[in-house]
Amino acid sequence: MNARRALLPLGFFTVAILAWQAAVLHSGQRALYPYPTGVFEAATRTIEDGSLFAATSQSLLRVLIGFALGAAFGIPLGVLMGFVRPVGRAVSPIVDSLRSIAPIAWIPMALLWLGIRGNAALFIVAYAAFFPFVVNAAQGARLIDRNLVNAARALGAGRALVVRSVVLPNALPAILTGARISMAFAWGSIIAAELAMGIKVTSGGSGAVGLGQLMVSTLYVRRDVNGLVLYMIVIGVISFLIDLAMRRLQRSLTPWRT
Amino acid sequence: MTGKIDAQSLSKTYVSARSGERVEALQNVSFSVAPHEFVSIVGPSGCGKSTLLALVAGFVAPTSGRVLADGAPITGPDPRRGVMFQDYALFPWRTVLGNVEFGPLARGATREAMRATAHRYIELVGLEGFEHRYPHELSGGMRQRCALARLLANEPEVWLMDEPLAAVDLQTRNILQDELLRLWGDGGDPGQRRAVLFVTHGIDEAVYLSDRVIVLGRRPGRIKETVTIDLPRPRKALRNSAEAGRYNEYIWNLIRDEAARAIVEESA
Amino acid sequence: MSDAAQVVLAPPPRAGVAGRRLTRVLEIVVALAVVVGLWQVTSITINNSTLLPSPARVFHAWLDLLHADLRQDVLASLAHLGIGYALGIATGLALAAISTRFALLESIVDPLIELLRPISAIAWIPIAILMFGISAGVPVFLIFYASLFPIFVNTVAGVKQVDAKLVHAAQMLGASRRMILTHVVMPAALPYVLAGARLSLGVAWMAMVAAELTGSDAGLGWRLFWYQEFFAMDKVMAVILTIGVLGYCFDTLLRALQARITRWSPDSVVDEAR
Repeated sequence: MNARRALLPLGFFTVAILAWQAAVLHSGQRALYPYPTGVFEAATRTIEDGSLFAATSQSLLRVLIGFALGAAFGIPLGVLMGFVRPVGRAVSPIVDSLRSIAPIAWIPMALLWLGIRGNAALFIVAYAAFFPFVVNAAQGARLIDRNLVNAARALGAGRALVVRSVVLPNALPAILTGARISMAFAWGSIIAAELAMGIKVTSGGSGAVGLGQLMVSTLYVRRDVNGLVLYMIVIGVISFLIDLAMRRLQRSLTPWRT
Repeated sequence: MTGKIDAQSLSKTYVSARSGERVEALQNVSFSVAPHEFVSIVGPSGCGKSTLLALVAGFVAPTSGRVLADGAPITGPDPRRGVMFQDYALFPWRTVLGNVEFGPLARGATREAMRATAHRYIELVGLEGFEHRYPHELSGGMRQRCALARLLANEPEVWLMDEPLAAVDLQTRNILQDELLRLWGDGGDPGQRRAVLFVTHGIDEAVYLSDRVIVLGRRPGRIKETVTIDLPRPRKALRNSAEAGRYNEYIWNLIRDEAARAIVEESA
Repeated sequence: MSDAAQVVLAPPPRAGVAGRRLTRVLEIVVALAVVVGLWQVTSITINNSTLLPSPARVFHAWLDLLHADLRQDVLASLAHLGIGYALGIATGLALAAISTRFALLESIVDPLIELLRPISAIAWIPIAILMFGISAGVPVFLIFYASLFPIFVNTVAGVKQVDAKLVHAAQMLGASRRMILTHVVMPAALPYVLAGARLSLGVAWMAMVAAELTGSDAGLGWRLFWYQEFFAMDKVMAVILTIGVLGYCFDTLLRALQARITRWSPDSVVDEAR
């Protein structure tokens, strides 16, 4: 029964892809529309000349650094906001209003401050990754069952032990959720930042080209539609893998959660 | 024999969708509820009490056997058989009034008739003044009263009650038991009473309320014995009587061993 | 550290409602004053009005813009957002309705959504530019695409989580299938739908800015690069702040709406269905 249920969508997608291919080839305008085998050719070409790998790893590297920066600043601030209520109440309106600014809106300032070499994109990514960490760490630190702390105290735990063995594990699931959201935000923002930089800065240093800049040059210089679709698929696959990895991490670090 | 409800050789087997594992919840259960009769079903946890009630309500179909209502097979839920749920199942987005009005609304009553019926039953269960509260603003006992008013507002011929008092504290439970008996007509004309099928794990509750108590064994659930409670009505004075105590003890002895085993198995 | 934990565990005795509200406002004012103060001090230290314009300069720029470009830009952005968001919500709800109603279509819609969902709206920008040229079509399409997924996913989750007991309760009270849909399934799913609408608006807002920056000829995002051409960084900052304030207002508005509509729920604001 399960096999039959899988058959329908499988058949549907096979037919859709074949129809797509046939439609484009018949229209005689291969240069204008992407088509499946064209995308495949673009993939083999960019994998062979190494440009796909270089750009992807460049983007991923920025994401990782930005994510680490976001965590390094976001987690301590969030935990502080959750622990010390007055701090939380005072800081959260600031955090909320800064959070409402789309990270990508900072790109003109970031380009001015940090230049076109790629650090501007890094700033955008770190900015995007920062807020989910703050918000979730604050929530995790704030929402604690008083009985758990009392139970630990009653069992003879000192204050340090209470913090280490009750408060932090209690906040960990929320922090990890924040990390997952951060990672997704960071990946979306790096592409946006690189696209904007690619459009703004026509002659970027070639060593610092990420997926976004590659897409811009594919669009405006090479006019390769199949390449664009390929990069979209790559972006999708990577964000899927990122989410999968973050969920795995979450499960293995907090096994007590169902 | 045609009672208000006739269950004939009911069996129910659940198949787990994930593992394909088969669990036999009920095995060859037959009983009937006469019109005006109050029948309770007791048994240790895991004996399929709630499944039995869901079968009579028409929420699930039996694997084999059948249930008749007034001699006709049950094919699905029917407003003539009102159900009271263990955790109330009140509509959280409707006020007390809105919940009680739901039955008349579903049956196409006019606005005025609907409102009048609802107010009558809200008053009957003692919830006047709380008409415009949402369920989450009520205590457990009040929610139960609301669920009762909702059931009564449809004027069903059969009351099916699935551990309705399991979630309230002991004092409230005693009060609600007496209320239930009053609304059922414990002190009045037996001809005015409705047929009740009452599922509970409280033996004393079953003895106190019922004309007959069906005792189920567990895994798979089947009838161990049916005990007729030969106590006069109204019952109010008999709550802590020696006669009631003897029935309690008798039924407890029937299921004690299985209840003890149930505790061990559930924690395993 | 442990003193801090104490604060959390023993909340201070409650002042009156009015008193608490006053403290709250004071806290916000103080916080904002600190931020503006820090900004001012930094800009004085740097002493370069291009690199970091002072708060006063940005405020003046904002006042100037209010009578000039800003109104047009906000209107253009709101038009993009209005059209794209309405299309996205309508399509998301329709797809969710179809896929929860017909198991056959669910088996096609669901994998399709799951395949497309990881491809962020941003990734569509180049293709959207090819399709629509540099025009309003790019932000509208991106907003549409971005808002589609949260509302779809939340609505489906909302319908699937409907308590079977409530459906049974309605059935035994004599409700028809239609009435169960309108009086049980829809109200039960509503909090999830609203949460989805809020999430959708959040991502749509981000997609809008990115799309306007890269592929549009109007709107707040487009204006950012326009002013940057002239190195009018005070105006750039004014636009950035406008984006933040508007985004904040939208979210607050939807949050209030959410709390108002789902008053009946004990935890009236359901956040994402994760």
